[in-house]
Order: sequence, then C-alpha cells, then structure tokens
Amino acid sequence: MTQVRTTKIKSSLAKQLERPGGRTIADAQRLAEAGLQSHKADIMADLGRLIGQLEDLCAAAAPEGRERVYVLAAALVDLAGFFDTGPLYSAGYSLCDLSDRMRAPAPWNWPAVEVHVKALRLIHTGGCKAGAESDILLAGLRSVLGAFTAAA
Amino acid sequence: MSAASSQSAANTRVNLEHSTVLLIDDNPKSLDMLSSIFHGFGVKEQIKCESAAEAAEIVKRRAVDLILVDCSMPEMDGYDFTRWLRRETPAPTRHTPVIMLTGHAAQSSIQKSRDCGASFVVAKPLTPTVLLRRILWLGGDEREFVECETYVGPDRRVRNFGPPLGEPGRRAGDLSTHVGEPAEANMDQSDIDMLMKPMRVAL
Repeated sequence: MTQVRTTKIKSSLAKQLERPGGRTIADAQRLAEAGLQSHKADIMADLGRLIGQLEDLCAAAAPEGRERVYVLAAALVDLAGFFDTGPLYSAGYSLCDLSDRMRAPAPWNWPAVEVHVKALRLIHTGGCKAGAESDILLAGLRSVLGAFTAAA
Repeated sequence: MSAASSQSAANTRVNLEHSTVLLIDDNPKSLDMLSSIFHGFGVKEQIKCESAAEAAEIVKRRAVDLILVDCSMPEMDGYDFTRWLRRETPAPTRHTPVIMLTGHAAQSSIQKSRDCGASFVVAKPLTPTVLLRRILWLGGDEREFVECETYVGPDRRVRNFGPPLGEPGRRAGDLSTHVGEPAEANMDQSDIDMLMKPMRVAL
C-alpha cells in the first residue's frame, strides 16, 4: 500500500488575508477591472495579427505549418480569455479542439482549419459582438468539429 | 443571495498589501494584464517571470505568498513547474498556494493537470471577480496537504467523503469500513420527524 502523509497547513496567504486594512472587495474588483480594460485596445490589435498569421498558414497549407496552427490558436484563446470576447473566444477554442484532435494519427484537414480562421476574422472585424450572425457561425464550426470527430 | 448580503459581501475588506505574488507566463502581454489585475487587488510586490525556469530560481531564493502560473509554456510548462515545486522544494515553499490558469486544455495535458498539485485551476475566460473569489477561497482553504508517491499537493477532494464503500481507507482520518451490528432498534418515522421538525404538543 502507498504511504500517504497528510498535513494541516495554514499558508502565509491565509495569514495575510486575516490582517485588518486593505480595500473593500468592491473597490478591489473595480480597480482590477479598470486596470485590465486599459490593455483591451492593444490586445484586440494583437488578436487581429494572430488571425493574420493563421490566414498565412492556411494559404500556404504546408505540412510544417500544422503544429503552428495549434500554437497560434492557443495563444489567441489565452489573450482573448482576459476579456469578454464571446464568440471570438468560442471560435478560437473550437480551432484549438480541432487542431489538437488532428494531431497524429488523425489526418489533417486544411479546409476545416480555414473555415475556422474565416469565422475568426469575421467575428473580430465585427467587434466580437454576440448575436444571431455569430450564433450561426459558431453552429457551423460546431458541425465542422463534430463531423471531423465522427470521421476521426 | 439577497441584496443586503451581496452589499455586505462587497463591503468586506481584502488585505493583500503585504503579499508577494509570483506571476509566470511566457506571454509578456498576459503578464502585464495579470499585473494590472493584482495591482487593482492592492498587491504591491509582484514578481513577473516569462519562464518557469526563471520562476524556479526565484522560489529557491525567497518566499512568496501566492503563485499564478499559465499552464502552457515552452520547455517547462505550468504543470511541470507546479509538480517540481510540490516535490522538490522544502517546506514551507512546497505548500505555497498555486493558481493555474488554463486557456485550451490539450488532451495530452488533462492527466498532468489533475496530478500536478495546483491549489486551483482557473479556466479562461478570466475575470477579476472570479480570480479574487478564488484567492479568498484559498485564504480559508482547509484542505489537508497530501504527500504520497503519486501525488503531492492539496487534497483534490474539496469535501472529504472518505473512501468508497467497502474499500479500506488510506488515511489516518478515514473511518473504518466495518459498520457492525445495530446497537438498538431502528427509530420509527414519527421519531425521525420529531427530530427534524420539533412541534409543540398540547397535553
């Protein structure tokens, strides 16, 4: 049987949080949100550049670009996940799922990647707003991903 | 939650002024955003690292109160870093609370995520409200720290329900599987009802 040791720990973080003073939770949330929002314009431009790099990979459709698709899609999801980017985040996540599943031994499918990248561009250009149009796009991506999963 | 209780929760104070937070992410822009969030929470001392290897050198030299690490990074990722922290560093460094941030979880990393020993895994989309809630939860974290051959970290069971029925427990606090014969007759339903809902009886 495996030897298991358990210990009751009180972390220094817990001790810090018990100290009086500090700021109210409402203030902490408000100030943190304001600080985060100051980065938004810069990050939205970065997301546009990442989509551009994905478009270049789709145009080249080279075998050596396959691994890079997941890397770029994961970077997009990482950055988009700091803000309310709704459909952009969902489309990026779907591309991560797709490119992760298409790693060996499943066959690679560039058109399935391309349809995701086009959807990302449309959503980004439209300001990442959720609505009937983005719902249709995301439903389409889900069916692409589903069909691929069924085929794999 | 009622309006009054949510108002009172918002007025509760959080003191992170004297805390040191270590932020680890290979993307400098993500680091800057995390830093802005923690600045809003009132954290004055933040250490930013663009690689887990750099962060490992820091925790060898000095103590920090909280670590935030991105799961996916080149070379040493967040899972490997947390596993190293939990297994290879001395106490109290190995007990430092670790919040792991995840964007997309690749299929190959799901097992690593479960076994690395992070205190909390926070999936994106991330909001300051969710992050602060997790930090406050960690402040009152009463889970035991578990060390065994296959796992080192906070108990992954947030509530300890004990071992599965019929299985012997592996911890000193686990109850015996032997229930034994009943010591007295079963209570009837009216007795149970009285325990649950005491009522005034007119005599």
